[in-house]
Amino acid sequence: MRKKLKIYLPFAANELKRQMAYKGAFYLFMFISLFSSFIMYFLWMAIYGSTDNSSLGGLTKDEMVVYVFMVYVTSSIVAISISDWVSDDVVKGNVAMNLIKPIDYRMSLIIRAMGDMVYRFLMPGVFIWIGLEIYKYKCLGMPVTGIENILLYLISCFMSFLIFVMFDFCFGMIAFFTTYIFGLMMVKEALLKFLTGELIPLSFFPGVIQKVFDFLPFSSMVYTPVMIYLGKYDHKELAFVLGRQAAWVILLYLLGSLIWRKVTRRLVVLGG
Amino acid sequence: MIKRYLRLYKVLISQFFKVIMQSKVDFLMGLFGFFFTQIMGIAFLYLVFQQIPTLQGWTLDQLIFIYGFAQIPRGIDHLFTDNIWMVAWRMVINGDFDRYMLRPMNVLFQIIGEKLQPDALGELLVGSILIVRSMMKGVVIIDAVHIFFFILSVLAGALIYTSIKLFFASLAFWVKCSGPFLQTAYEMADFAKYPTEIYAKLIRFIITWIVPFAFVAYLPASYFLGVGGFFGSGSNLGVIGIEWIIAVVFCGVAYLVFQKGIRIYESAGN
Repeated sequence: MRKKLKIYLPFAANELKRQMAYKGAFYLFMFISLFSSFIMYFLWMAIYGSTDNSSLGGLTKDEMVVYVFMVYVTSSIVAISISDWVSDDVVKGNVAMNLIKPIDYRMSLIIRAMGDMVYRFLMPGVFIWIGLEIYKYKCLGMPVTGIENILLYLISCFMSFLIFVMFDFCFGMIAFFTTYIFGLMMVKEALLKFLTGELIPLSFFPGVIQKVFDFLPFSSMVYTPVMIYLGKYDHKELAFVLGRQAAWVILLYLLGSLIWRKVTRRLVVLGG
Repeated sequence: MIKRYLRLYKVLISQFFKVIMQSKVDFLMGLFGFFFTQIMGIAFLYLVFQQIPTLQGWTLDQLIFIYGFAQIPRGIDHLFTDNIWMVAWRMVINGDFDRYMLRPMNVLFQIIGEKLQPDALGELLVGSILIVRSMMKGVVIIDAVHIFFFILSVLAGALIYTSIKLFFASLAFWVKCSGPFLQTAYEMADFAKYPTEIYAKLIRFIITWIVPFAFVAYLPASYFLGVGGFFGSGSNLGVIGIEWIIAVVFCGVAYLVFQKGIRIYESAGN
């Protein structure tokens, strides 16, 4: 275990350092991605202003504010696109180098993503989170979120992260078959925005579709932790959704191993 | 002079079609990607409207038209001038820009002519589908005047897009890599896909007068719907007049800055 740690930890540390080096661009990108949160915020305000119902899709107006910004915090921590790195490695032929080294390629990617996660959590994540809590308390008059919910949220977030990267690893394997993965990535991003609840709470979907979502890993990526944060689950449901997240981590891990074994068997690397 | 440039552009474009033919799968995937991204926005509106009858007086059909209309100028600009992004991101910083300075042709023309971006067809496709849908549903006013001004407005909108892009890309001559700034400005366009009344005053002011995307999407769209907008843009042709004035002014400014930038450009490397 200790030896493993020594091998893989530099991947996380390096990624952290790399991110620090390009701080300027990073802040700007975070700022840009906040745009869409603000668009959503104003849209929801207008939407709630157009109806007499105090809650839509099971969320009140104030809860929706929390939802919009916690989705931002959550997905900025969770959604670390390792398929970018995979396709980069495949296109440049680096993947061959990774194959001959005595390390597990997927493991190195995940640990590297963890470095990214830590950085994103520290950099904009925490500040927006704190800002949101202050806003909630001062302007909306809601109580500050309890420590229990925060802890459960963090645990759930971590599993979301694992589910996301495991899934994205499987997705990245497409890079072995086509070099132009850009279009597919856009499709993936658009679909994930929708299926994970980033764009709209999943409770807005018709009942039948929600049933389908229960059998897909996507709702466990963003929707589950945010709903935990909002305290929308009772104890029994909590155990269930956390258990489901754990199940998806294991399932996607196994699936990834299977695909990886299949793919590397037929891999052809040109040049080097 | 113009004849020569037209001939050159024809040659360049024919090259582009060869590229599409060569990589059909890539082309289709890129197109599908952009298509899909935009469709999600519509799905969002659709789901929301299951819960509410109108959004501050706007019906779903009207919002879909505004959304679709916003895609057309964006798509046109994206299709023809996508290469300007490269100036912002890397051409200046790595010295690739040199080759444009050496040829006896207008520099901007070379940059634009070098590439057509087929992915943009995805946006144009979504936009066209949504607009045709609106026409069939009778949401928009269809007569000779409106069709004429529709074309004018779309052209001005595309010009405004291009100018904003060129302006921020030109900053690269001073800061070397202006991609992040350009991206920030460009993403503001998303605000104008919805009626801008929903935003706070400051945001509304910025997207109307500073980075005037409201004049590209929402305001002209309200003219074609015949309702809404401010200073009566719903029934006032003036909105397209102002759009054109903005387009011309922005084009001029952006091109001047670009010219100035070229003059101070110094190559990278040894």
